[in-house]
Amino acid sequence: MGGAISYTPSIIADQLVSNITANQSQQATLEEQISTGNAVNVPSDNPAAAANIMQINAGLARSNQYAANAADGLSWLSLGNSTMNQILSALQSAQQAVLSVSSASISGNTAAIQGLATQVDSVRQQLTQLANTQYGGQAIFAGTGNVTTAFDANGNYVGGGNAPTRTVAPGEQIPVSVTGTAVFGTGTTGLLSTTPGSLGVLAQISADLRAGTPASLNQAMTTDLQNLQNAMSQVQSQAAQLGANYQRMQSFQQQATDTQQALQSELSGIQSADLPQAITQLGQVQNSYQAALWAASKVTQDSLVQFLG
Amino acid sequence: MGDMALGIASSGLDAQQTAMDTIAQNLANANTPGYVNQTANLTTLTGGDALGVGGGVQVSAITQASDGLLAANVQQAQGALAQSTALQQVLSGAQAAFAEPGTNGLSAQLSAFWQSWDGIAQNPSSLAPRTQVIGAAQNIVTTLGQASAQLTQLQSNAQSQLGSVVSATNTLLSQVASLNNQIIAAKGAGTDPNSLVDQRNALVDTLSSDIGAVATNMPDGTVMVRVGGIALVQGSFADTLQLTGAPGSLAITSSTSGVTVPTTGGQASGLLAAINQYLPAYESQLDAVANKLATTVNTQLAAGYTATGAAGLPLFTGSGAAGLAVNPAVVADPTQIAASSTSTLPDATNNGANAQAMAELYNTTTGPDQAYQSFIQGLGAQLQDTNNQVQAQTSVANAAQQNLQAVAGVNPDQEMVQMLSTQQAYQASAKLISTVSTMMQALLSSV
Repeated sequence: MGGAISYTPSIIADQLVSNITANQSQQATLEEQISTGNAVNVPSDNPAAAANIMQINAGLARSNQYAANAADGLSWLSLGNSTMNQILSALQSAQQAVLSVSSASISGNTAAIQGLATQVDSVRQQLTQLANTQYGGQAIFAGTGNVTTAFDANGNYVGGGNAPTRTVAPGEQIPVSVTGTAVFGTGTTGLLSTTPGSLGVLAQISADLRAGTPASLNQAMTTDLQNLQNAMSQVQSQAAQLGANYQRMQSFQQQATDTQQALQSELSGIQSADLPQAITQLGQVQNSYQAALWAASKVTQDSLVQFLG
Repeated sequence: MGDMALGIASSGLDAQQTAMDTIAQNLANANTPGYVNQTANLTTLTGGDALGVGGGVQVSAITQASDGLLAANVQQAQGALAQSTALQQVLSGAQAAFAEPGTNGLSAQLSAFWQSWDGIAQNPSSLAPRTQVIGAAQNIVTTLGQASAQLTQLQSNAQSQLGSVVSATNTLLSQVASLNNQIIAAKGAGTDPNSLVDQRNALVDTLSSDIGAVATNMPDGTVMVRVGGIALVQGSFADTLQLTGAPGSLAITSSTSGVTVPTTGGQASGLLAAINQYLPAYESQLDAVANKLATTVNTQLAAGYTATGAAGLPLFTGSGAAGLAVNPAVVADPTQIAASSTSTLPDATNNGANAQAMAELYNTTTGPDQAYQSFIQGLGAQLQDTNNQVQAQTSVANAAQQNLQAVAGVNPDQEMVQMLSTQQAYQASAKLISTVSTMMQALLSSV
């Protein structure tokens, strides 16, 4: 400081007080950093970082929601896939029944053919139930057009034209099911209709088998069987669609999880205090605080007055 | 010859006595704020005999070790510091009204609100996710309302604080004028006005911190006190100040001339800036956030339909941070939230596509989130700036104070040295008197 200034006791006292105050506020800042683990506790600590943290937190919340949406979508698709498998195995048993009409043991046996018709009817009823499968109270094959029911008691579609979707990434929406019309068809080429005059494939087979005339049995084994096989391949292609959606959904779920981790590490890079550094600094500040206190206790003691006894 | 020596020695005793009194006064006031170190100025007395020995010593004046420039520096530094400190206090209060960046702030609540819309998309016909959306909206409305109320409270606190500062200033101004008057009177009567000057200087220092006043020493011993170039105390005249106008254009005006007194320092200046600029800007930015939220959400809802294919109701009503509300009609009937993207039946029945689109608006450029983030960033930057200013100006004010203290303050060591030499001079004069007396006795006994 040089000899230019004459130091009066009040200058020295003022300086000590201001040093002690500065020390205390530094200690408070460091202690807050250490106790919260955060370097940015209020916007004025670092305004740009504070805005960044808010943006990252919003992005994190969105990624969490994408992951949650994907998880919900996967539940729908997984139920859809298992339902599709049941539908296919039911259809295969119907197909088996039609093919067995010409077999030696059944041919000409009216009662046995009537039994096959009953078997086809029960397949149709099982399919109608499967077509109304629900997830969480929502019919998965009803599209967005109906909450609980995709097909009515007559096998007519009462759902909507589009399947619901889940948002799994910005602007990325994946259908979580397919519509009942896409799976089961409608009218005479559809599987489920029992409306007189517009019988669906299964009801038509049953009717032809029950009629029992050579012409009707022939009809069942040719045209009807062909319609059934067409319907089955339609179900298979929709099942493949659900499987593909399931895989896409899974990969987007993974992507959302990866994004979460990336954002989380970015966030801790911006927000987290450097604890070893903060603790070391705190030790230094505490030392100089004690030194300042010691100096303050000495300041009034040394003066010429004492030596002029 | 004896008469003359005795007279000179006696004047020495008197002068050293006065010098000792001055030292005593200095030591007694070593810690008195505003006290300025005094010195007894000794001068030789003329007269005596024809050879020009001289007539002894006298105390010509007791002078104060003041330095006008250093004192003005202190006043200015104190004014600047008080200005930044007042602003810092208000801005810290504003920052505390927003718990950012954190998990309880408006930013987190906005995120939760946007995400809740995907819940509707997952189950459009269920009431539960709709109730969650309404709950999240109500949280936001409550938070915005509280933040707005806190800003309003800060505004009114700052105004009442400013009112106190102005009325304290008026008292100080009239006290300074009255001391000016007493100083002139004391000078006229030939008495020492130093203690009056000390008192007046302490008042002027307070005026500097309060309102950024600058004092100029006049030749007649009075001071002229000015704020923003307008003289408020001149001789024995003191102006009074008053507050005029509404927040946004609140001003301190002179009662005498009616002109606005432009403050550039002091607590009043910091408070005026907070009241007229900072707080109104924050309030309008917060209002903009509220309005953007309402517009963004209600516009998206207007593009959608309810499960029956009808138009829904807006979720937010009112405007501004304090006026925003969740539409009571939607609270009463959550099915009025237009979650469907189509009006066609039956597709609208269990359709959540519009709610999905809503969830994606969380970071839209015209939405509330970005406006809020930049508002918080701006507030943080202004407070950080003010914090830095307070820190820098504290150093400047301390340095200015030290420079002044070095000149005007009392250093006991120096006073003790002064005391010793005064004591020795006194003893020497006393010794001379006894020597003259011995000489006289020798003369008398020889006669």
